[in-house]
Amino acid sequence: MATPLLETHDLVKDYAIGGEIVHAVNNVSLSISRGEFVAIMGASGSGKSTFMNMIGCLDVPTSGTLLLDGIDTKLLDSDALAEIRNRKIGFVFQQFNLLARTSALDNVAVPLIYAGIGYAERRQRAQHKLEAMGLANRLQNTPAKLSGGQQQRVAIARALVTDPLMLLADEPTGALDTQTSLDIMGIFQKLNDDGITVVLVTHEPDIAEFAARRIVFRDGQVIEDAAVKSRRKASAA
Amino acid sequence: MKDLLASLAGWGVNVAIALTALRTNLMRSILTTLGVMIGVFSVILAVAVGNGAQVSVSQQIATLGSNMAIVVPQPDSGSGPPRPNDRGRLTERDGQAILREVSGVSAVAPQIRSSVQIVTPGRSATTQATGATPEYGVVSNVTASEGRFLTQSDVGSAARVAVIGETVANKLFPETSPVGETIRINRVPFTVIGLLESKGSNLGNDNDDQIVVPITTLRQRLLTTATQGPDDVTLIFVGFEDEDALLAGQKEIERLLRDRYRVAKGKINPFTVRTTTEIAETTGEVTQIFQAVLVAIASISLLVGGIGIMNIMLVSVTERTREIGLRMALGAKRSDIRNQFLVEAAVLCVIGGAIGLSLAILAASIFERVAEFPAPIGFDTAIMAVAFSAIIGLVFGGYPAIRASRLSPIEALRSE
Repeated sequence: MATPLLETHDLVKDYAIGGEIVHAVNNVSLSISRGEFVAIMGASGSGKSTFMNMIGCLDVPTSGTLLLDGIDTKLLDSDALAEIRNRKIGFVFQQFNLLARTSALDNVAVPLIYAGIGYAERRQRAQHKLEAMGLANRLQNTPAKLSGGQQQRVAIARALVTDPLMLLADEPTGALDTQTSLDIMGIFQKLNDDGITVVLVTHEPDIAEFAARRIVFRDGQVIEDAAVKSRRKASAA
Repeated sequence: MKDLLASLAGWGVNVAIALTALRTNLMRSILTTLGVMIGVFSVILAVAVGNGAQVSVSQQIATLGSNMAIVVPQPDSGSGPPRPNDRGRLTERDGQAILREVSGVSAVAPQIRSSVQIVTPGRSATTQATGATPEYGVVSNVTASEGRFLTQSDVGSAARVAVIGETVANKLFPETSPVGETIRINRVPFTVIGLLESKGSNLGNDNDDQIVVPITTLRQRLLTTATQGPDDVTLIFVGFEDEDALLAGQKEIERLLRDRYRVAKGKINPFTVRTTTEIAETTGEVTQIFQAVLVAIASISLLVGGIGIMNIMLVSVTERTREIGLRMALGAKRSDIRNQFLVEAAVLCVIGGAIGLSLAILAASIFERVAEFPAPIGFDTAIMAVAFSAIIGLVFGGYPAIRASRLSPIEALRSE
């Protein structure tokens, strides 16, 4: 554990809105180690999503340094960033973002296409991940035929299919009811127990309590970064 | 090898994605394809018709005979229409002079042409009669497929004999062989001595709708209008030994005839000497221009089809911005996104192209059967059609595809 999985130094993201420059993320320096379960909290406009987009290599910082697995992302071109997103990061979105009219199996296999994996292995690995999510009998269903919780589990399987170092989940329970949210948080906790780093963005304090560490953003800066005191266990709930 | 397989598999994935996307908007895809389909259809058909015209023309020239000069008593009016007022003269003696004095000449075939009416009991036909000598058969490759052709003694005795073309024979003797039968040409009884070997038809001109009689007989018995002199002819075919002799001979014939008709320097010739080589060249040029014009007009519809593709691809990119963002988040490189949309456009175009090609083949075969006009679509044309439509897809799909690949992942993901 010499190098942290993720390290930021004076990370800044500015947006020009109506001629005015807004510091969406303002000089954030922090580090996340392998195996952590981090919840990033804050109100809307606090900069938490912008921060998450940068650490997910979807957006590039205005200034500052972002080291991912020891690699300075500033030095990477768009192809190399695409490869990092493919190999090292798994995304889970609030709206699931599954391809419509495409089976669960094919949805999960999409990242493997971009990893250059052949057809047979793609199917095999996708099927394996879906089975691990308890969806063995839903392989051929399209998203329209799946419940919200099932869709989010397909999305998690997709995020995991390239065996990434880190899961980035942006409001993963935002579109789900309480019980399903609990199930999903249980999955994240189990994955974290198995060693995957999980970074979760949420504005719901009770969801953040499933994480081990809580980072709170306000006006583009970190105002709180501490371990969660009374951590909730989904299995116990 | 492994890299090649992997890249092929990558394209295969793109084709699968493209097919799914096209199925999703089936009606739109069909309408877009229609544009390319019509474009490819018209271009291929234009090429086929142009090819057909060329084939037809070269066939016609081949039926004329090769290494031949055609002398007509008509001033060379250049590219303009012939001027009947300054019609010149040409006689059998001119023909003999050509045979005697021009080097490399193998045979001379003077002819008189006249429209005639032929009657048999219960049937009649109007056709063109060529009054000729046996040399006509030699120079223009005409033989009798049944019976015999004219002989020198037929000409010498002004025999009332005729060799008739297949079309005429079918009109007058639909069931029996015409050879040996008697026909009345302009009321004069003739014996049919032979059937001309069929030369088919080209560009709507039936080569078998004619009869050949001795030149002497035609002049004495069948001409309805008086000629200027006793041995005037309509035209003379001059056969040469080879192409070189033909090229030199054309000038020699002109010089000889200018001499014989005492044409002053600077005055235009009262006759025209054309060679089969020249005719082949000019008609070849004409048909090529004809084909180019056809293809150019047809290309406009292909261009319109291509613009349709571009339009729909731009719509598709806009509609699927979120999908593009998602794919980028999941690891798609810009080139992956670009290729995905390029393949989608190419698939649309190739499907359109393939259907257009099939319809063109169908139309060409109907055309051939109904209009009796050859419209050959070769393997090369087919390959060209499909390749061409793929190129249309790549060109017109290129801009939308590049636009898609330039999207920022986060902005694409955020779009609704």
